[in-house]
Amino acid sequence: MSPIGDDASALPDEEILRAQAYGLLAGLLSRAPDADALTALAAIEGDDSALGAAYAALGAAAREATPHGVAEEFDALFIGVGGGELTPFGSYYRTGFLHEKPLADLRGDMARLGIERAEGIAESEDHIAALCEMMAGLITGAFDAPADLGEQRAFFSRHIEPWAPRFFADLEGSPTARFYRAVGTLGRRFMDVEGQAFALAV
Amino acid sequence: MTDKKGKATLARRDLFRAAGLGAGALGAVAVGLPAAPAEAKAGDDRTAQRYRETEHVRKAYESSRF
Repeated sequence: MSPIGDDASALPDEEILRAQAYGLLAGLLSRAPDADALTALAAIEGDDSALGAAYAALGAAAREATPHGVAEEFDALFIGVGGGELTPFGSYYRTGFLHEKPLADLRGDMARLGIERAEGIAESEDHIAALCEMMAGLITGAFDAPADLGEQRAFFSRHIEPWAPRFFADLEGSPTARFYRAVGTLGRRFMDVEGQAFALAV
Repeated sequence: MTDKKGKATLARRDLFRAAGLGAGALGAVAVGLPAAPAEAKAGDDRTAQRYRETEHVRKAYESSRF
């Protein structure tokens, strides 16, 4: 099943670009990019705007990276034996523990929005990659009809805004991160723009 | 007569454009779509903890191999 809904072609360009940004973050935070992905990322360029520069840095980081190197980096950051350096789950950032009320709240909203966890995924749903994927799906209508801005804003403010900026800042500042430092910068700036844009919405 | 929603849409577009959102579209399209997306389908949300060979578990086994 495609994560892009059929109604996506009717969306304004900027909304499609938002969904793509969430999709990119979801992909990079789910798994380390392989050789093909690094090649695709290496083509990214940008201007000196906030996100343009962040994308440009990601492209530059991809040009410097090797598949083995990013795999090791991903492992050290997120997997590790006994836990990686960072624990990218909403419950953990918000309460200090996994599987807490933020996760229960999220599951309630997922059920209401018609979002179901995919088979074969053991990590709880409040993982940053899953949340980014959910936002992309809400924008494009992958789960149901495209969510209107009010619904998107509610989801963002309940499940993402309270902690994701801090997570991305931690990623950006991690001594272990090299390629993923650029992912942190992009994520942090994108969260900032998302918050500003939602504040504009009717 | 002001179209409030239309103005909001324009304001969003201007904000995203100024922020440079379009810069990453090339790489995002190539890389961004996850391999195993969450699917919209009827059915129970699995709540029982079952063993899954996740990346985490596999690496734990690898590192403890003699």
